[in-house]
Amino acid sequence: MMEEYLGVFIDETKEYLQQLNDTLLKIEEDPDNLELVNDAFRVLHTLKGMAGTMGFNRMAKLCHIMENVLDRARNGTLKISSDIMDRIFKGVDLISKALEKIVGEGSDEIEEDVDLFVDALKELTNAPQVRNEEKIGEVKSKGNEGVEETVERIVLPDEVANVLKRAKAEGYKTYYMKVILKEGTQLKSARIYLVLHRIEELKGEVVKTNPSIEEIEEEKFENEVEMFVIIREDKGRLSEVLTSIADIDRVIIRDVEPVHEEKVAKIVEKPEIEKMKEEEKREKKKISSQTVRVDIEKLDTLMDLMGELVIARSRIVEVLKKYNIKEVDEGLTQLSRITLDLQNVVMKIRMVPIAFVFNRFPRMVRDLSKQLNKEINFVMKGEETELDRTFVEEIGEPILHLLRNAIDHGIESKEERIAKGKPPVGTVVLSARHEGNNVVIEVEDDGRGIDKEKVLRKAFEKGLVSEARAATLSDQEILNFLFVPGFSTREDVSEVSGRGVGLDVVKNVVESLNGSVSIESEKNRGTKVTIRLPLTLAIIQALLVKVSGFVYAIPIANVDTTLRVTKGEIQRVQDRKVIVIRGEVIPIRELWEILQVPHEATPETMEVVIVRVGNRKFGIVVDELLGQDDIVIKSLGKVFSDVREFSGAAILGDGSIALIVNVSGIV
Amino acid sequence: MVSSQEVEILSFLLGDQSMAFDVDSVEMVIERTEIRPVPKAKFFVEGVINLRGRVIPVVNLGKVLGINVEDGELKSIIVVKTKDVEVGFLVNRVWGVMRISESQVDHLSVSDKFGKKFKGLIKRDGNLTVYLNIEEIIEEITAKEGA
Repeated sequence: MMEEYLGVFIDETKEYLQQLNDTLLKIEEDPDNLELVNDAFRVLHTLKGMAGTMGFNRMAKLCHIMENVLDRARNGTLKISSDIMDRIFKGVDLISKALEKIVGEGSDEIEEDVDLFVDALKELTNAPQVRNEEKIGEVKSKGNEGVEETVERIVLPDEVANVLKRAKAEGYKTYYMKVILKEGTQLKSARIYLVLHRIEELKGEVVKTNPSIEEIEEEKFENEVEMFVIIREDKGRLSEVLTSIADIDRVIIRDVEPVHEEKVAKIVEKPEIEKMKEEEKREKKKISSQTVRVDIEKLDTLMDLMGELVIARSRIVEVLKKYNIKEVDEGLTQLSRITLDLQNVVMKIRMVPIAFVFNRFPRMVRDLSKQLNKEINFVMKGEETELDRTFVEEIGEPILHLLRNAIDHGIESKEERIAKGKPPVGTVVLSARHEGNNVVIEVEDDGRGIDKEKVLRKAFEKGLVSEARAATLSDQEILNFLFVPGFSTREDVSEVSGRGVGLDVVKNVVESLNGSVSIESEKNRGTKVTIRLPLTLAIIQALLVKVSGFVYAIPIANVDTTLRVTKGEIQRVQDRKVIVIRGEVIPIRELWEILQVPHEATPETMEVVIVRVGNRKFGIVVDELLGQDDIVIKSLGKVFSDVREFSGAAILGDGSIALIVNVSGIV
Repeated sequence: MVSSQEVEILSFLLGDQSMAFDVDSVEMVIERTEIRPVPKAKFFVEGVINLRGRVIPVVNLGKVLGINVEDGELKSIIVVKTKDVEVGFLVNRVWGVMRISESQVDHLSVSDKFGKKFKGLIKRDGNLTVYLNIEEIIEEITAKEGA
């Protein structure tokens, strides 16, 4: 029965691990904050319970030993040192590995030696006064002595009273139990099932439950289940075992004295865990937000349908244009507006906060700066910025790459920084924000910057630029060499330039997402790499143009302006055609020439679309501008994998096909 | 039921030669519709078509096999779908699906011209049909460096 819960388990565990990492990082900054230690402890405790529930014992074991360490820390019997933090982080990594293994193979059997790790941590915790082995689930069970006992009377059904009485006579203890699950618990019946199972393991018997077992199986209950239990164990032990199950908020156990004759039972209440606690509630609020988990496939289908709808609408609009019927205008306008709204909503559903990408970086920055022995002040901004979930999987690696570059090559050593009169701690800022129809992600450091002369020299050595031309290059053009495939490798440029490891890789990924990347750098002031991504991948706004009788689409995101140019305005600079707009020299090329399609002689006046790639501008000459439209991007597929000029195709309202120009592929 | 010795093939005319390949991967046969040319594509790619809202590449099978066929004679498109590729092949006309037994296939003959794309010769009612290896053809047309 656990199979069906595996998905939820994996998702929840991921969230908890992330939360744990975040909390641990905070503890590292503020090791005396017991509140934080408590938070981490609770997360581990929950994880342990969940892993145990699912039968992942290695994972549970890992959680358990780390929980012990943190427990000692919050009791004040263990001082949190940097060494201990390292070990705890190591433990978190092991848990993550175990989870990966569970995702892949359904087992938490990882290659690393869990026992070795556990033993090492045990040494830490095995100092005198605490006996760790016995501490599973001990959190909630202390302090129940001396609590005033309240007596309550509840009516027992006949058959229950009979059973309880008999059990009592045989020396069993009889309890009334109320198991209360945390609000928003996902695996409700599984948790209760586990409670029943644990009681069985303790050789106990559940006489009756309310709601009934059937209702529990069908999850027809809120957060509470009442039950009558006969068992030999005492309350403390029972409570201990049961509260170690994940997502059990608390368990109320009362003695039941079956008084059959009067059909009344006496209950002795010990509100032992009642204090369990305001804090817990606060934590709950932190974790649960108002969300629904939806199968990704369903979202994709919704997006596809949305695409079809957009096409169908365009088609209707197209047809009706011919007839110019006044009556349909209003309806049509409304349809258009609704379609647009719907499109926006669907797009928003697919959007997730970039925190999903960012949240693993603090941990990585911490590890890397430790490893390189550099002190880094890592700042993240705009984690709430939303972007298409398709990007989430793709964009993590490039950002990681840039952060690594910044820390490894950008930020100088402490000594070097002091010598330069800079603050000894280097700052790396990772930020995200919306800008128009783009998501802008920036990685900025205040390190040594890129040595442009060395980059230029290298470009010259590699034959990328002639000596004459080298002198005329702008700083920007020089920096752009870093994006040339194979330009930089770890061995050479990384040392001389301070940045530039595998920037071509970053560029490739970003461009495959229809985005762009640019770089700015100033010697000794630092480097900033900017990634621009479209808000969504599936539907884009495009400028439709015609060349040699066929329609092409240029993504609006790339379009700067359009203008009409006469032949006379075109000048030549070193064999390149350029036009001058407000003092700016912009190279231009005919699209038919770029694509090598047959075309008549260049006309006297022509339409030019000025496009932007990074911070460069470029003019594309076309025959005709057709206007702007929403298009649904369709992949061209493997047959065209070698065609860099197009990023896809789109079906237009009249059923014809437009090819989408990959602007960065043609300039 | 197709016994283990029998295979189902789709046979068609390309130029003046009868050809065939396994029917399993054939999705449908359609009449030639308007093909949107794609500049800079490989020489054997004629372009893309709009197949019920999907964009499908169309390949000139003659050019893949090195056979010269008058473009005006290519009137049918065989749409083939494998797990990650969907592609239409231009042919003169399609005869239909046939069941042949292995004994009718001459695997011994080799073709210098078609290489691995050639599976054998089918002898049937005194006619010869070139039996093509469709997997190999798809492999070649999707290869990065092109043919």
